[in-house]
Order: sequence, then C-alpha cells, then structure tokens
Amino acid sequence: MDNVVGGASGSSNEEGGIRDHDKLLPIANVGRIMKQILPPNAKISKEAKEIMQECVTEFISFVTSEASDKCRKERRKTVNGDDVCWALGALGFDDYAGPLRRYLHKFREIEGDRANQERARTNDHPEASRLTDDNP
Amino acid sequence: MRQAGIYSGIRSGPHALPLARIKKIMKQSGDEVKMISGEAPIVFAKACELFIKELTQKSWNVTIQGKRRILHKDDVASTVVSTDVFDFLASLVSGDCSEQVSPVEKEVAILES
Repeated sequence: MDNVVGGASGSSNEEGGIRDHDKLLPIANVGRIMKQILPPNAKISKEAKEIMQECVTEFISFVTSEASDKCRKERRKTVNGDDVCWALGALGFDDYAGPLRRYLHKFREIEGDRANQERARTNDHPEASRLTDDNP
Repeated sequence: MRQAGIYSGIRSGPHALPLARIKKIMKQSGDEVKMISGEAPIVFAKACELFIKELTQKSWNVTIQGKRRILHKDDVASTVVSTDVFDFLASLVSGDCSEQVSPVEKEVAILES
C-alpha cells in the first residue's frame, strides 16, 4: 500500500515512498489542467492525478538536464528560454518547441515594452533614475 | 522566493503553474544547473501545460477503450509505455506498483466479463 500524503503540507521524512510535496507541482493545478482537456462528465482518480504530478516533475528535470548540458558544452552559466525550447525539440517534443518559441518571443516583447515604459517614466522623474542601470 | 520585477512584471497574465516551484524543480534536476534565467520557468509553465494535456488526452483514449469514465493511473501507465516520446517515464510508472484497481472498478470489470 502506498504511503501517500494527501495533504498540502510540505515535505515529509517518513520512509517508504513518501511523495515530497516541495518537489512536485501542486496537485490542484495539475488536476485543473487535466480537467481542461477532458469532456465535462469525465472523472479523474486521485492516483491518476498523483502519477501525473510525478510525470510532469520528471518532465521538467529531464528537459532541464538536457538544456543545462548544452549550456555547459557552450560554456554558458545561465539556462535561458531558448535553451529550454531547444531541449524540447532535441528530446522529441517538436510539437511544443514551435508554439513555445512564439510564446517566448511574445513574452520578450512584452517585457521589452515594460522596460521601455519604465525608462520613459524615470526620465520624467529624474530622482527615480538611480534605480535603473542606465545612469553613469 | 521573491524576485521583484521578474515574476510580478509579466503582463501575460497568471500562470497555471507556480513559477517558483518550477524553478525549484529545475534546480534539483542536477548539480550542474547553476543559473536559470527568469524566462525559463515561464517557458516551462507553458510546456508543462502542453505536456499534461497531451498525456491526459492520450490516457483518456485508453479509458474510453476500456468503456470506463474514470481516468485511472493504469491508463496513464499504458500510454507512457506505448508512446516513444514518453519513454523517459517508463520506470516511473512501472516502479509505482500498479494494481490499484478500486473495488467499484473491480465490480464493473467482473460484470462486464
């Protein structure tokens, strides 16, 4: 019998297959995403949600290892969004890589706009400009 | 873990999965993972959604084939072993000691045989 900790509390040190909640994505979030793709009358067993939690976590580790390996070979210290997209393609998740690249570029655009807005704002208020990197 | 500006500044809206947790899992994947850019967990949040949806959808097909309406762990395990791209999960789903058929499903199985 599995010793499954059902509660939302953090990690546990008990023996025998305890699931460390700090290392897993929250079951509520995972369950919600699963529900989104299923018909309204579908039901999901608790064990199915739990195995999905573990699978997603493994997915993150698996892809991250590949991405960080690439960074190491290229002597870069920081794993960035492009590395994650590349790793997804390299590991067979080609269907994800395309849409995610577009998502990433959109995000960068938005962040770029936001940074420009910040810059414009601090130019109007010189006393705030010491918060930015731009000043000599 | 708070990083003002990175997580709070994203206009793309609330994410379906917590970025800080994703980052933690990334860091735990290996010692050689040193620094992670702010955008990497954001890409992963989306990638994980796609992953969960794909695995769930395919698992549900197995559920339907079994004429059931409850998605069970074994349906996920079945999908993992029969899909190449999910090979990395094979030991995770098998090591996870299988036969957790609920009494209700057992009854249904008996009635249907």
